[in-house]
Amino acid sequence: MTQTIPIQFDGETLQARAGETLAAALIAHGVQQFRTTVSGQPRGVFCGMGVCQDCLVEIDGVANRRACMTKIEKPVTVRRGAHARPLPPVTASASGSYAGSPEPEIREPALLVIGAGPGGLSAALFAQRAGVQVTVLDERSQAGGQYYKQLAVSVSASASEPGVALPDAQHRRGAALIESARKAGVEIIHDALVWGAFEPKEFIATVRGRSIRFRPAACIVATGAYERGWQVPGWTLPGVMTTGAAQTLWRTSRRLPGKRVLIAGNGPLNLQLAAELLSGGASVAAVVEAAPRPGLATLGSLVTMALAAPGLVAEGVGYNRMVKRNGVHIINDTVIEAIEKTGSGLSVILARVSGETLAPRIDVDVVCLGYGFEPANELLRALGCTHDFDTHRRQLATRRDDTGQTSVAGVYALGDCTGLGGAKAALAEGSIVGAAVAVSLGHALAGPLTGERDRAVADLARQRRFQQALWTVYASPLNAPKERCGDTVICRCEEVTFGELDAALDEGLSTVGAIKRRTRIGMGRCQGRYCAPVLDEIVCERFGRSRDEMSGFAPRVPVKPVSIAELAGHGNDS
Amino acid sequence: MNDPTMGALPRRQTDVAVIGAGIVGLCLAGFLAQRGREVMLLDAGGSAASTANAGSLHVQMQSRFMRLFPERVASFEQQLPLYPKAVEYWREFERAINADFDMQVSGGLMIAETPEQFDFLVAKSRRERELGLEVELLERADLQRIAPYLGPAAFGAELCANEGKLNPLKCNTQIRAWASRMGVTIVDQCKVNQLRPTGSGFALTTSLGALDARQVAVAAGPGARALMDSAGTFLPVDPEPLHMNITEAAPPLILHLVQHAERSITLKQLSTGQVVIGGGWPAKLAAGAGYPVVDPASVIGNVSLAQFMVPALGSLQILRTWAGVNSKVDGRGVLGEMPGLPGLHAAIPGDAGYTLGPLTARLVADLMTGRDPGVDMRPYSPMRFQAEELRLLTAQ
Repeated sequence: MTQTIPIQFDGETLQARAGETLAAALIAHGVQQFRTTVSGQPRGVFCGMGVCQDCLVEIDGVANRRACMTKIEKPVTVRRGAHARPLPPVTASASGSYAGSPEPEIREPALLVIGAGPGGLSAALFAQRAGVQVTVLDERSQAGGQYYKQLAVSVSASASEPGVALPDAQHRRGAALIESARKAGVEIIHDALVWGAFEPKEFIATVRGRSIRFRPAACIVATGAYERGWQVPGWTLPGVMTTGAAQTLWRTSRRLPGKRVLIAGNGPLNLQLAAELLSGGASVAAVVEAAPRPGLATLGSLVTMALAAPGLVAEGVGYNRMVKRNGVHIINDTVIEAIEKTGSGLSVILARVSGETLAPRIDVDVVCLGYGFEPANELLRALGCTHDFDTHRRQLATRRDDTGQTSVAGVYALGDCTGLGGAKAALAEGSIVGAAVAVSLGHALAGPLTGERDRAVADLARQRRFQQALWTVYASPLNAPKERCGDTVICRCEEVTFGELDAALDEGLSTVGAIKRRTRIGMGRCQGRYCAPVLDEIVCERFGRSRDEMSGFAPRVPVKPVSIAELAGHGNDS
Repeated sequence: MNDPTMGALPRRQTDVAVIGAGIVGLCLAGFLAQRGREVMLLDAGGSAASTANAGSLHVQMQSRFMRLFPERVASFEQQLPLYPKAVEYWREFERAINADFDMQVSGGLMIAETPEQFDFLVAKSRRERELGLEVELLERADLQRIAPYLGPAAFGAELCANEGKLNPLKCNTQIRAWASRMGVTIVDQCKVNQLRPTGSGFALTTSLGALDARQVAVAAGPGARALMDSAGTFLPVDPEPLHMNITEAAPPLILHLVQHAERSITLKQLSTGQVVIGGGWPAKLAAGAGYPVVDPASVIGNVSLAQFMVPALGSLQILRTWAGVNSKVDGRGVLGEMPGLPGLHAAIPGDAGYTLGPLTARLVADLMTGRDPGVDMRPYSPMRFQAEELRLLTAQ
């Protein structure tokens, strides 16, 4: 039996499952709109992973909390978020004289790993086994990252409650990795929001209301990636969320994002989500894929994939079969052109990659967007690590040597935050980088560890071949919406449109910084994570420049919003 | 930051070149163009003061400067009469160019926590009144009445009614558009590397090529020192990298510009509802790059002090921090022609330079076009550095 906890939402009592996120509980009860913006627009869950800052609600009187990052452990009173709600009354009176600047606790672990996904955990485990004292920081309340996110609600052995399916193999592999790391002695600190990185290699995190400064001898940044936006009309509507957000609802809380779902994007994750949602009883209207249907031209790549990672290919074939068995159309060579709100849900307009709009609309209640990823490299950039622009993936890649060492001594990086490579590659990199850090800190590798490291090197080469072939299979000539103008929102937070951007460009502004100050693009809570790559691309294209690590916004702290009370070190333990 | 080779100078010569498109440069270029001069405004881009400004309109003497530079208090006092005029001038300028600067002159409070700090304010306000400022002292009860948002530690305050706040992002944008309308040719991403007197004017070496100008105004903040040096003259202006923070929006809470009698802080709420917290906490100049970066101790220290003064701020989230570069001279602005170099003008406004921007720009425009500024400009003349220059030369 799953344990339920009552929550109050705008005066109504809803039953949440213990351990699930507030976002999952609300969506399960049919809530799509979580807040209204300053201009009165409705918003709901978009990224589902604490990045976009759109699912903000008021929890027990405290405004602007992320529903997707709030775990239900006790009854709470929740209100839809609104702009500039009155501040909660001040309880503890700060009387007396000023005690001076707070001096947060300083910790100096030998190795600090940021991010408890596959790569971070694998590196932490390896280094700890080699004798290094390792501390891992993770923003979520459970380790595993995006790929190995764990089931957060309890399941009875008989799975008596429908919809709460047992953990699958991916959950179990993650659980085993987390358990191994714990057993080896790795310290994992949860709910740790690393909001700043400072030269040469200092990190500040808030952990349940307290700030802690970390000054490790070495660090490994393994912060993963987040999904790109797909800036078409309607992409900010409640009910439009990323593929990862929908997957998180299902994989952590066994909740479905809606009854009838359309999944669109580019890449294999969309197919996996379709299979997962079908298994949970959702109806999948279609999977809309930008890449052409795999044919003879991609046969070579498919063979490479099968040879390099037969397990992953078998999983992919399984998802494909599941999707087709359920009669779900996979529409290739096609993208979303617009999403409109209707009386009962969302109406999706599709277009061929070549530009032709498809006549029939598809009516659903949820749209999932999975148009690729952006590396979460904010901390690496703040530390001054050199980045190169990868023109194929259209993103910055962290410059590193074979051991993961970046351009800044003692700062290592691995996995998707350095440029996309996938979870399996991150796992292999973890062992390689963990080994290198251990050696750099003066620990000799025992025989078996050397063997493991060498096997990881071979495995990484295989995973890279797989990934390269996968990209070939999923290559699409269109990697951004065709029309980027008019009333379509580019900056979700500040609600700036492409039309306003065009006007600023027409005024002669020529740098992203000047455009930011002029239009407020990128000045909001998400720190420009969705608009910055698009803006940089548009500005560089217009002025004939090439994108590089300096062409976009400068990195700024805090990398995610953090309350003054938490910064000052006396936040609530909530 | 951006490709320095992009673009080219639209002309190879101009009547007037203004260097630096911050608040002073934009206004000065606009005024000169309005008076019929042919003006080219050159800006190096990158981090500067005006683009990073936090929007305080300062009038009363800032305790921070008095504490840090007690030897300059006499110099601050000479500048003091300009501040109330500067705030009035902002209003006048807003009307004249038909703009909306989100300006609120709702008063500024300097808070004391202790009787000793209050005594400091008593002495300060006495001197300020002698110099013509309108200020009043508030004891705890009166203070609580007009500023209920303040925490229980507030003992008393000095209120200066003509202090306030504006939104620099809106100002910069609209003033830039106005300057363009006046006919100023604005050249972005153009760094002036050298400034050489030719007898009939000046030869400028820029990242976009050579430029000849009959008159030059240097409104480049801390960049002025190197430029003046290249012209063979001396202007001791130094960079002071500073830190600022902005919160998410809150309902109207803080009416005033709030400062402290003994600690570095300014805080105010913009019309967006966001609270800007700054007031002189240091940033660091990144090695080599020359741009300022945020120091973690300043983030924590600055916002903690803000919460101590206004406890309700604790629940607000900081959305962003940034750093800018203030210009430090000797406590006064440097406004006017450089000695021995006719046609070369300094336009460095002095402390709280954003507040002083439009007014000092107009004063320099008056000097450059032969009009009477209506203000005794002698205290602000660059002549005063000649003695120091001589001393430095003889020491070499």
